[in-house]
Amino acid sequence: MSTQKRWIVCSVGIVAFFVVLLSITYMASMPDSADSERYLSIPIEVSGAANRVAGIYLNTRLFDTLIEILVFSVAVLGVRYYLSHSPQISLPSLSESAVVRTAAGILGPLALLLSVYFATFGHISPGGGFAAGVIAASAVLYVAIAQGMQATEARLSPQRIAAAEKGILLFLFLWILLPLAFGDAPLTELLPPGTPGKLLSAGSILPYNLLIGIKVFFGAWLIIAAFAQHRGDL
Amino acid sequence: MAGHVLLALLPIVAVVALTQSRRLSAIIGMGLFSFLLAAVYLVMRAPDVAITEATIGAALVTAIYILAIRRTGRLTVVADEVPGLLAREADRIVGLEYDILRGFAISQGLDLSVSFVPLRRVRWLVAHGEADIGAGGIVPLTGAIDPLDATPGHLETGVYAFDARDGRPTSELAPDYDGYFSELQSKARNGLLSSSVTSLDLARVLSLSRGAPLEGLDRLDGRHGYAFLVSKDRADLKRDLVRYVESLQRSGELDAWIARHVR
Amino acid sequence: MATIVSFVLLGIGILALVLRRDLVIKLLALGLINASSILFLVSIGNRPGGRAPIQFPGETAVLVDPLPQALVLSAIVVNFAILALALVFVMILVERYHTTDAQRIEQEMSRETDEEETPCL
Repeated sequence: MSTQKRWIVCSVGIVAFFVVLLSITYMASMPDSADSERYLSIPIEVSGAANRVAGIYLNTRLFDTLIEILVFSVAVLGVRYYLSHSPQISLPSLSESAVVRTAAGILGPLALLLSVYFATFGHISPGGGFAAGVIAASAVLYVAIAQGMQATEARLSPQRIAAAEKGILLFLFLWILLPLAFGDAPLTELLPPGTPGKLLSAGSILPYNLLIGIKVFFGAWLIIAAFAQHRGDL
Repeated sequence: MAGHVLLALLPIVAVVALTQSRRLSAIIGMGLFSFLLAAVYLVMRAPDVAITEATIGAALVTAIYILAIRRTGRLTVVADEVPGLLAREADRIVGLEYDILRGFAISQGLDLSVSFVPLRRVRWLVAHGEADIGAGGIVPLTGAIDPLDATPGHLETGVYAFDARDGRPTSELAPDYDGYFSELQSKARNGLLSSSVTSLDLARVLSLSRGAPLEGLDRLDGRHGYAFLVSKDRADLKRDLVRYVESLQRSGELDAWIARHVR
Repeated sequence: MATIVSFVLLGIGILALVLRRDLVIKLLALGLINASSILFLVSIGNRPGGRAPIQFPGETAVLVDPLPQALVLSAIVVNFAILALALVFVMILVERYHTTDAQRIEQEMSRETDEEETPCL
């Protein structure tokens, strides 16, 4: 459509959005109810997690997290499948600049350390499994810049990582949903809740963080490797 | 206070990033926007969200976009302008050799950059490693030019001698001409070209003669062809280029391109 | 204040999505719209004078509402995955039509479907 009509449609749409969203904001700024504190953002003595955000999305809203990692897996599957039809480039992709290669070789392991920290301390400190997985994938990207894609692929073969990722997904599905078949709630106390603030506390949040971190790392690395290998004609 | 400043900066950075003309600038601008947004989340007391947004938005999304858009590396080509093979037209470059080089660059995942220099500089630049490929020239198809390597020619041609005064070619041998082709063309138009100046190749003859009959042109000895010049250190580049041109010949695309550009 | 900024970003994103022709810029605008919705959700959980939602036993301070932040964490990761998939589709389109101009791609596609419908003898 012509530029003028586009402008009109955009302006009308934006005004409509403003109206709708401002009204939602008005309604959302009503005071919180006590039920939210009791059922959703449960107190830290119950969940054992000092990080209250982790105490929500890995305890009371666990199913949301489960479906989220399922969607992530499907997206990784889609990316790998559709890119597999594009031609691969045959250049060994090594950065030409020695400065970049050296710096990347130093920063990569540091970022990997950071990712492990976020995954294991996700229940007492900001972080969590998702950020940990993504940081780990970026760290391995640094390592790939430093030593070349071929060497990295030799150690982390895409087929095995894809299989491992789906394996973790399957395991998490069964682990979370199987208790439902027996009439129980999903297991949230693999470790005892303990005192919030200690490392071994917060129920199963620590194992969940580790598993989700590993899984998101595999998925994000698969996406990056697929992009790095297939031709971009853009 | 800091929160308000950052919040006010957000729309500005977004507008600046999305109104860029180059894709790469827009991607980097949005990476900066992500980073600023992570700072805003920090000010709003949401550390988990800030960490996740910073790593995903600023690092991973930018990395993926850049991987998709641009491959590392660049193929530098220096050439002398030859109409039909590699010539400037308004703001584009057209020609047979340009098509070949661009297809080769895409197949290697490289960016192509073409610069036009005098013919003598072409050899110097390629020999000293400042450019990858030299184009737009002719080489004798029997033997190499030290210290450069030549690919087997993709279009065979002849070297003609051309007399501009009365429009009839002679068969005088003359030293290699150098300089931009346009200079030569303007000289020919103004009749300043003396008879002993040129031994030209087919493309330039076709362009200069503009309808003068070509029968009776004397061909000088030796088989010549248009080829690419590659430095002797880059044997792998030469091998890839030769392989690519051969695949073009096999699939018949080279003939189609020759028909389109030269004849 | 942050809520209003999120609406402004939404407006910028929609405008850029419709008015810019380049497919990659359209994708970036989609990412901006994602970011604006996440900013909106996080900002309505902001309580005045609140502190970060990390609470150790024995503290009684007013905390920022942790619920929108928990919802939004998954949303960021899912947005990234969908964006990667969309980028793959854009790459395939560009490979097919050799241009990133959305209007020209539409013209080529409509020309292709027109040619399919005319019977060839």
